[in-house]
Amino acid sequence: MSTQPTSTDHTSRELPMARSMCWHCQSDVCGEYFCGRCVKVQPLSKELDYFTCMNLPRLLSIDEKTLEDTFYSLSRTFHPDFYATKDEGEKCVSLGNTAILNTAYRTLKNPIQRAEYLIRLEAGSVKDIRSTPPADLFEEILELQEDLDEFRALAGPRDSDRGRELRSKLQNDRATLETRQEQLKARLFGKFQEWDALQISSEATAETQSQKAAVLKAMQEILSNRTYVRNIVNDLIAATS
Amino acid sequence: MAYSEKVIDHYNNPRNMGSFKKEEDGVGTGIVGAPECGDVMKLQIKVENDTIVDAKFKTFGCGSAIASSSLATEWLKGKTVDEAGQIKNTEIVQELNLPPVKIHCSVLAEDAIKAALNDYKKKAATATTPEETAASAGS
Repeated sequence: MSTQPTSTDHTSRELPMARSMCWHCQSDVCGEYFCGRCVKVQPLSKELDYFTCMNLPRLLSIDEKTLEDTFYSLSRTFHPDFYATKDEGEKCVSLGNTAILNTAYRTLKNPIQRAEYLIRLEAGSVKDIRSTPPADLFEEILELQEDLDEFRALAGPRDSDRGRELRSKLQNDRATLETRQEQLKARLFGKFQEWDALQISSEATAETQSQKAAVLKAMQEILSNRTYVRNIVNDLIAATS
Repeated sequence: MAYSEKVIDHYNNPRNMGSFKKEEDGVGTGIVGAPECGDVMKLQIKVENDTIVDAKFKTFGCGSAIASSSLATEWLKGKTVDEAGQIKNTEIVQELNLPPVKIHCSVLAEDAIKAALNDYKKKAATATTPEETAASAGS
Protein backbone atom coordinates (compact mmCIF):
# COMPACT_ATOMS: atom_id res chain seq x y z
CA MET A 1 0.00 0.00 0.00
CA SER A 2 2.99 2.31 0.49
CA THR A 3 3.62 2.43 -3.25
CA GLN A 4 0.51 4.50 -3.91
CA PRO A 5 1.51 8.08 -4.75
CA THR A 6 -0.34 10.47 -2.53
CA SER A 7 1.46 13.66 -3.36
CA THR A 8 -1.65 15.44 -4.58
CA ASP A 9 -3.28 15.21 -1.17
CA HIS A 10 -0.22 16.47 0.52
CA THR A 11 0.48 19.45 -1.66
CA SER A 12 -3.10 20.60 -2.04
CA ARG A 13 -3.20 22.07 1.42
CA GLU A 14 -0.18 24.24 0.71
CA LEU A 15 -1.86 25.72 -2.35
CA PRO A 16 -3.17 29.22 -1.92
CA MET A 17 -6.86 29.77 -1.34
CA ALA A 18 -8.94 29.49 -4.50
CA ARG A 19 -9.74 32.82 -6.04
CA SER A 20 -13.30 33.95 -5.88
CA MET A 21 -15.42 37.02 -6.33
CA CYS A 22 -16.56 39.66 -3.88
CA TRP A 23 -20.27 39.05 -3.28
CA HIS A 24 -20.87 42.78 -3.48
CA CYS A 25 -18.68 44.36 -6.18
CA GLN A 26 -17.52 41.22 -8.03
CA SER A 27 -13.88 42.11 -7.86
CA ASP A 28 -11.28 39.43 -7.18
CA VAL A 29 -10.83 38.26 -3.62
CA CYS A 30 -8.47 35.59 -2.44
CA GLY A 31 -9.25 34.59 1.12
CA GLU A 32 -9.03 38.14 2.47
CA TYR A 33 -11.56 39.01 5.14
CA PHE A 34 -12.49 42.27 3.43
CA CYS A 35 -12.78 43.12 -0.25
CA GLY A 36 -9.85 45.25 -1.37
CA ARG A 37 -12.09 47.52 -3.37
CA CYS A 38 -15.46 47.95 -1.68
CA VAL A 39 -14.24 46.97 1.83
CA LYS A 40 -17.25 44.71 2.43
CA VAL A 41 -16.70 41.77 4.79
CA GLN A 42 -16.27 38.47 2.92
CA PRO A 43 -17.55 35.02 3.87
CA LEU A 44 -14.87 32.63 5.11
CA SER A 45 -13.93 30.25 2.34
CA LYS A 46 -15.65 26.86 2.35
CA GLU A 47 -12.21 25.30 1.82
CA LEU A 48 -10.82 26.88 4.94
CA ASP A 49 -10.12 24.20 7.51
CA TYR A 50 -10.28 25.03 11.21
CA PHE A 51 -6.53 24.73 11.73
CA THR A 52 -5.76 27.23 8.98
CA CYS A 53 -8.59 29.43 10.17
CA MET A 54 -7.06 29.56 13.64
CA ASN A 55 -3.55 30.12 12.36
CA LEU A 56 -2.39 26.74 13.60
CA PRO A 57 -0.38 24.02 11.89
CA ARG A 58 -2.22 20.73 11.39
CA LEU A 59 -0.87 19.23 14.59
CA LEU A 60 -2.66 17.62 17.50
CA SER A 61 -0.74 19.31 20.29
CA ILE A 62 -1.85 22.85 19.77
CA ASP A 63 -0.62 26.14 21.08
CA GLU A 64 -3.61 27.18 23.18
CA LYS A 65 -2.48 30.78 23.28
CA THR A 66 -2.47 31.05 19.50
CA LEU A 67 -5.90 29.46 19.43
CA GLU A 68 -7.30 31.92 21.99
CA ASP A 69 -5.61 34.94 20.47
CA THR A 70 -6.73 34.16 16.93
CA PHE A 71 -10.23 33.39 18.13
CA TYR A 72 -10.57 36.68 19.97
CA SER A 73 -9.02 38.69 17.20
CA LEU A 74 -11.25 37.14 14.52
CA SER A 75 -14.26 37.48 16.79
CA ARG A 76 -13.60 41.19 16.92
CA THR A 77 -13.34 41.23 13.14
CA PHE A 78 -16.60 39.42 12.48
CA HIS A 79 -18.81 39.99 15.51
CA PRO A 80 -22.41 40.81 14.51
CA ASP A 81 -22.47 43.73 16.97
CA PHE A 82 -20.06 45.59 14.70
CA TYR A 83 -22.35 45.09 11.73
CA ALA A 84 -25.59 46.31 13.28
CA THR A 85 -25.60 49.41 11.11
CA LYS A 86 -24.39 47.68 7.93
CA ASP A 87 -26.53 46.35 5.09
CA GLU A 88 -28.27 42.95 5.15
CA GLY A 89 -25.56 41.26 3.08
CA GLU A 90 -22.82 42.20 5.50
CA LYS A 91 -24.92 41.28 8.55
CA CYS A 92 -25.48 37.89 7.02
CA VAL A 93 -21.76 37.34 6.32
CA SER A 94 -20.80 38.46 9.82
CA LEU A 95 -23.27 36.01 11.33
CA GLY A 96 -22.11 33.13 9.14
CA ASN A 97 -18.44 33.77 9.83
CA THR A 98 -19.02 34.06 13.55
CA ALA A 99 -20.81 30.73 13.55
CA ILE A 100 -17.91 29.05 11.71
CA LEU A 101 -15.46 30.69 14.06
CA ASN A 102 -17.26 29.48 17.18
CA THR A 103 -17.43 25.92 15.87
CA ALA A 104 -13.77 26.01 14.86
CA TYR A 105 -12.76 27.24 18.31
CA ARG A 106 -14.86 24.69 20.18
CA THR A 107 -13.67 21.84 17.97
CA LEU A 108 -9.97 22.61 18.32
CA LYS A 109 -10.12 23.45 22.01
CA ASN A 110 -11.32 19.96 22.97
CA PRO A 111 -8.60 17.36 22.31
CA ILE A 112 -11.05 14.57 21.50
CA GLN A 113 -13.03 16.68 19.06
CA ARG A 114 -9.76 17.98 17.63
CA ALA A 115 -8.62 14.43 16.89
CA GLU A 116 -11.99 13.48 15.41
CA TYR A 117 -11.89 16.54 13.21
CA LEU A 118 -8.35 15.87 12.03
CA ILE A 119 -9.31 12.31 11.13
CA ARG A 120 -12.26 13.61 9.10
CA LEU A 121 -10.01 16.14 7.37
CA GLU A 122 -7.38 13.58 6.51
CA ALA A 123 -9.79 10.74 5.80
CA GLY A 124 -9.77 11.52 2.09
CA SER A 125 -6.12 10.57 1.87
CA VAL A 126 -6.48 7.42 3.94
CA LYS A 127 -7.98 4.33 2.48
CA ASP A 128 -9.81 2.00 4.78
CA ILE A 129 -10.03 4.35 7.73
CA ARG A 130 -12.85 2.26 9.17
CA SER A 131 -11.42 0.29 12.00
CA THR A 132 -11.88 -3.39 12.65
CA PRO A 133 -14.70 -3.92 15.14
CA PRO A 134 -13.45 -4.82 18.61
CA ALA A 135 -15.10 -8.25 18.94
CA ASP A 136 -13.82 -8.89 22.46
CA LEU A 137 -15.13 -5.58 23.69
CA PHE A 138 -18.55 -6.31 22.19
CA GLU A 139 -18.70 -9.65 24.01
CA GLU A 140 -17.75 -7.95 27.22
CA ILE A 141 -20.37 -5.26 26.75
CA LEU A 142 -23.09 -7.78 25.99
CA GLU A 143 -22.26 -9.74 29.12
CA LEU A 144 -22.32 -6.60 31.22
CA GLN A 145 -25.63 -5.59 29.72
CA GLU A 146 -27.08 -8.97 30.70
CA ASP A 147 -26.04 -8.34 34.30
CA LEU A 148 -27.46 -4.84 34.09
CA ASP A 149 -30.76 -6.19 32.78
CA GLU A 150 -30.94 -8.64 35.65
CA PHE A 151 -30.13 -5.90 38.13
CA ARG A 152 -32.75 -3.54 36.71
CA ALA A 153 -35.33 -6.32 36.81
CA LEU A 154 -34.73 -6.66 40.54
CA ALA A 155 -36.28 -3.21 40.85
CA GLY A 156 -37.96 -3.66 44.20
CA PRO A 157 -36.03 -6.19 46.23
CA ARG A 158 -32.49 -5.09 45.45
CA ASP A 159 -31.65 -5.65 49.05
CA SER A 160 -31.73 -9.35 48.36
CA ASP A 161 -28.45 -11.23 48.40
CA ARG A 162 -28.44 -11.41 44.63
CA GLY A 163 -29.14 -7.69 44.38
CA ARG A 164 -26.25 -6.78 46.66
CA GLU A 165 -23.98 -9.21 44.89
CA LEU A 166 -24.85 -7.75 41.48
CA ARG A 167 -24.51 -4.19 42.65
CA SER A 168 -21.03 -4.74 43.98
CA LYS A 169 -20.03 -6.66 40.85
CA LEU A 170 -21.33 -3.88 38.62
CA GLN A 171 -19.58 -1.24 40.69
CA ASN A 172 -16.33 -3.15 40.33
CA ASP A 173 -16.90 -3.44 36.58
CA ARG A 174 -17.48 0.26 36.44
CA ALA A 175 -14.20 0.99 38.21
CA THR A 176 -12.35 -1.34 35.85
CA LEU A 177 -13.89 0.32 32.82
CA GLU A 178 -13.15 3.79 34.10
CA THR A 179 -9.51 2.78 34.44
CA ARG A 180 -9.65 1.55 30.87
CA GLN A 181 -11.10 4.88 29.75
CA GLU A 182 -8.08 6.60 31.24
CA GLN A 183 -5.77 4.18 29.47
CA LEU A 184 -7.50 4.76 26.15
CA LYS A 185 -7.11 8.49 26.62
CA ALA A 186 -3.42 8.09 27.41
CA ARG A 187 -2.94 5.94 24.32
CA LEU A 188 -4.74 8.52 22.23
CA PHE A 189 -2.48 11.29 23.48
CA GLY A 190 0.50 9.08 22.69
CA LYS A 191 -0.73 8.92 19.11
CA PHE A 192 -1.00 12.73 19.09
CA GLN A 193 2.75 12.90 19.53
CA GLU A 194 3.38 10.31 16.84
CA TRP A 195 1.23 12.28 14.43
CA ASP A 196 2.91 15.56 15.24
CA ALA A 197 6.38 14.09 14.85
CA LEU A 198 5.46 12.74 11.42
CA GLN A 199 3.87 16.03 10.37
CA ILE A 200 6.85 18.10 11.44
CA SER A 201 9.65 15.92 10.13
CA SER A 202 8.22 14.67 6.95
CA GLU A 203 8.88 15.19 3.38
CA ALA A 204 5.94 13.58 1.64
CA THR A 205 7.51 10.24 1.00
CA ALA A 206 5.28 7.24 0.45
CA GLU A 207 6.61 5.79 3.66
CA THR A 208 5.67 8.70 5.91
CA GLN A 209 2.30 8.84 4.21
CA SER A 210 1.60 5.27 5.10
CA GLN A 211 2.88 5.82 8.63
CA LYS A 212 0.51 8.73 8.97
CA ALA A 213 -2.35 6.61 7.69
CA ALA A 214 -1.52 4.01 10.32
CA VAL A 215 -1.56 6.63 13.09
CA LEU A 216 -4.92 7.99 11.91
CA LYS A 217 -6.37 4.52 11.83
CA ALA A 218 -5.07 3.72 15.29
CA MET A 219 -6.61 6.93 16.61
CA GLN A 220 -9.90 6.10 14.95
CA GLU A 221 -9.84 2.72 16.63
CA ILE A 222 -9.12 4.17 20.06
CA LEU A 223 -11.87 6.76 19.61
CA SER A 224 -14.52 4.22 18.70
CA ASN A 225 -13.53 1.92 21.56
CA ARG A 226 -13.76 4.94 23.78
CA THR A 227 -17.33 5.54 22.61
CA TYR A 228 -18.37 1.97 23.35
CA VAL A 229 -16.77 2.05 26.77
CA ARG A 230 -18.29 5.45 27.55
CA ASN A 231 -21.78 4.19 26.75
CA ILE A 232 -21.54 1.17 28.98
CA VAL A 233 -20.00 3.22 31.78
CA ASN A 234 -22.90 5.68 31.56
CA ASP A 235 -25.37 2.79 31.71
CA LEU A 236 -23.56 1.39 34.75
CA ILE A 237 -23.60 4.74 36.48
CA ALA A 238 -27.30 5.24 35.76
CA ALA A 239 -28.25 1.82 37.05
CA THR A 240 -26.13 1.55 40.18
CA SER A 241 -26.11 5.01 41.65
CA MET B 1 -37.26 14.88 15.43
CA ALA B 2 -39.90 12.54 16.74
CA TYR B 3 -39.76 8.81 16.15
CA SER B 4 -42.23 7.33 13.68
CA GLU B 5 -45.09 5.26 15.04
CA LYS B 6 -43.52 2.08 13.72
CA VAL B 7 -40.26 2.78 15.53
CA ILE B 8 -42.14 3.43 18.74
CA ASP B 9 -44.14 0.24 18.31
CA HIS B 10 -41.00 -1.87 17.86
CA TYR B 11 -39.37 -0.06 20.74
CA ASN B 12 -42.25 -0.69 23.12
CA ASN B 13 -42.97 -4.22 21.88
CA PRO B 14 -39.70 -5.53 20.55
CA ARG B 15 -40.18 -8.74 18.57
CA ASN B 16 -37.88 -11.69 19.14
CA MET B 17 -35.73 -10.18 21.84
CA GLY B 18 -33.38 -12.69 23.40
CA SER B 19 -30.64 -15.04 22.40
CA PHE B 20 -29.72 -18.58 21.40
CA LYS B 21 -26.73 -20.54 22.59
CA LYS B 22 -23.94 -19.66 20.20
CA GLU B 23 -22.63 -23.21 20.03
CA GLU B 24 -26.00 -24.66 19.12
CA ASP B 25 -26.23 -26.36 15.72
CA GLY B 26 -27.54 -24.15 12.94
CA VAL B 27 -27.17 -20.94 14.94
CA GLY B 28 -25.37 -18.01 13.36
CA THR B 29 -24.38 -15.04 15.50
CA GLY B 30 -23.57 -11.52 14.35
CA ILE B 31 -22.30 -8.88 16.77
CA VAL B 32 -21.71 -5.43 15.34
CA GLY B 33 -21.31 -1.90 16.63
CA ALA B 34 -21.58 1.66 15.39
CA PRO B 35 -18.41 3.52 16.32
CA GLU B 36 -20.12 6.90 15.87
CA CYS B 37 -22.71 6.41 18.58
CA GLY B 38 -21.45 3.36 20.46
CA ASP B 39 -24.54 1.22 19.86
CA VAL B 40 -23.97 -2.53 20.01
CA MET B 41 -26.24 -5.05 18.29
CA LYS B 42 -26.35 -8.82 18.51
CA LEU B 43 -28.46 -10.70 16.00
CA GLN B 44 -28.82 -14.47 15.79
CA ILE B 45 -30.46 -16.80 13.32
CA LYS B 46 -31.39 -20.43 13.63
CA VAL B 47 -31.27 -22.32 10.36
CA GLU B 48 -32.82 -25.67 9.47
CA ASN B 49 -32.64 -27.07 5.94
CA ASP B 50 -31.35 -23.77 4.60
CA THR B 51 -34.34 -21.88 5.99
CA ILE B 52 -34.24 -19.46 8.88
CA VAL B 53 -36.71 -20.88 11.37
CA ASP B 54 -36.07 -18.42 14.16
CA ALA B 55 -34.21 -15.18 14.83
CA LYS B 56 -33.37 -13.23 17.95
CA PHE B 57 -31.71 -9.95 18.77
CA LYS B 58 -30.34 -7.89 21.59
CA THR B 59 -29.55 -4.27 20.92
CA PHE B 60 -28.10 -1.72 23.28
CA GLY B 61 -28.61 1.64 21.72
CA CYS B 62 -31.17 4.14 20.57
CA GLY B 63 -34.80 3.46 19.66
CA SER B 64 -34.06 3.37 15.94
CA ALA B 65 -31.35 0.75 16.38
CA ILE B 66 -33.66 -1.38 18.49
CA ALA B 67 -36.51 -1.01 16.00
CA SER B 68 -34.22 -1.79 13.03
CA SER B 69 -32.99 -5.03 14.58
CA SER B 70 -36.45 -6.00 15.81
CA LEU B 71 -37.84 -5.54 12.31
CA ALA B 72 -34.89 -7.44 10.84
CA THR B 73 -35.64 -10.51 12.96
CA GLU B 74 -39.27 -10.39 11.81
CA TRP B 75 -38.22 -10.31 8.20
CA LEU B 76 -35.60 -13.01 8.58
CA LYS B 77 -37.98 -15.70 9.78
CA GLY B 78 -39.06 -17.99 6.96
CA LYS B 79 -36.45 -16.73 4.52
CA THR B 80 -33.77 -18.94 3.01
CA VAL B 81 -30.16 -18.08 3.74
CA ASP B 82 -29.75 -16.58 0.27
CA GLU B 83 -32.93 -14.52 0.50
CA ALA B 84 -31.83 -13.20 3.88
CA GLY B 85 -28.57 -11.98 2.37
CA GLN B 86 -30.55 -9.70 0.10
CA ILE B 87 -32.23 -7.63 2.80
CA LYS B 88 -31.10 -4.05 2.31
CA ASN B 89 -30.85 -1.30 4.84
CA THR B 90 -32.87 0.97 2.54
CA GLU B 91 -35.87 -1.33 2.97
CA ILE B 92 -35.58 -0.92 6.72
CA VAL B 93 -35.31 2.85 6.33
CA GLN B 94 -38.49 2.87 4.27
CA GLU B 95 -40.47 0.58 6.50
CA LEU B 96 -39.57 2.49 9.67
CA ASN B 97 -39.52 5.95 8.16
CA LEU B 98 -36.09 6.65 9.57
CA PRO B 99 -34.82 10.23 9.30
CA PRO B 100 -31.39 10.84 7.70
CA VAL B 101 -29.55 11.03 11.04
CA LYS B 102 -30.76 7.52 11.90
CA ILE B 103 -29.89 5.78 8.66
CA HIS B 104 -26.75 4.36 10.24
CA CYS B 105 -29.01 2.32 12.55
CA SER B 106 -30.44 0.48 9.55
CA VAL B 107 -26.93 -0.02 8.19
CA LEU B 108 -26.02 -1.57 11.52
CA ALA B 109 -28.96 -3.98 11.21
CA GLU B 110 -27.90 -4.97 7.70
CA ASP B 111 -24.34 -5.50 8.91
CA ALA B 112 -25.65 -7.65 11.76
CA ILE B 113 -27.67 -9.82 9.35
CA LYS B 114 -24.60 -10.28 7.13
CA ALA B 115 -22.41 -11.11 10.11
CA ALA B 116 -24.91 -13.68 11.39
CA LEU B 117 -25.21 -15.28 7.95
CA ASN B 118 -21.42 -15.42 7.57
CA ASP B 119 -21.05 -16.96 10.99
CA TYR B 120 -23.68 -19.56 10.13
CA LYS B 121 -22.02 -20.39 6.80
CA LYS B 122 -18.61 -20.66 8.41
CA LYS B 123 -19.95 -23.02 11.03
CA ALA B 124 -21.82 -25.07 8.46
CA ALA B 125 -18.72 -25.37 6.30
CA THR B 126 -16.37 -26.51 9.05
CA ALA B 127 -18.88 -28.71 10.81
CA THR B 128 -19.59 -32.11 9.75
CA THR B 129 -21.09 -34.16 6.99
CA PRO B 130 -18.80 -35.60 4.28
CA GLU B 131 -20.98 -34.35 1.41
CA GLU B 132 -20.90 -30.78 2.67
CA THR B 133 -17.14 -30.89 3.05
CA ALA B 134 -16.83 -32.24 -0.46
CA ALA B 135 -19.18 -29.60 -1.81
CA SER B 136 -17.37 -26.69 -0.23
CA ALA B 137 -13.99 -28.08 -1.25
CA GLY B 138 -15.20 -28.15 -4.83
CA SER B 139 -16.20 -24.51 -4.92
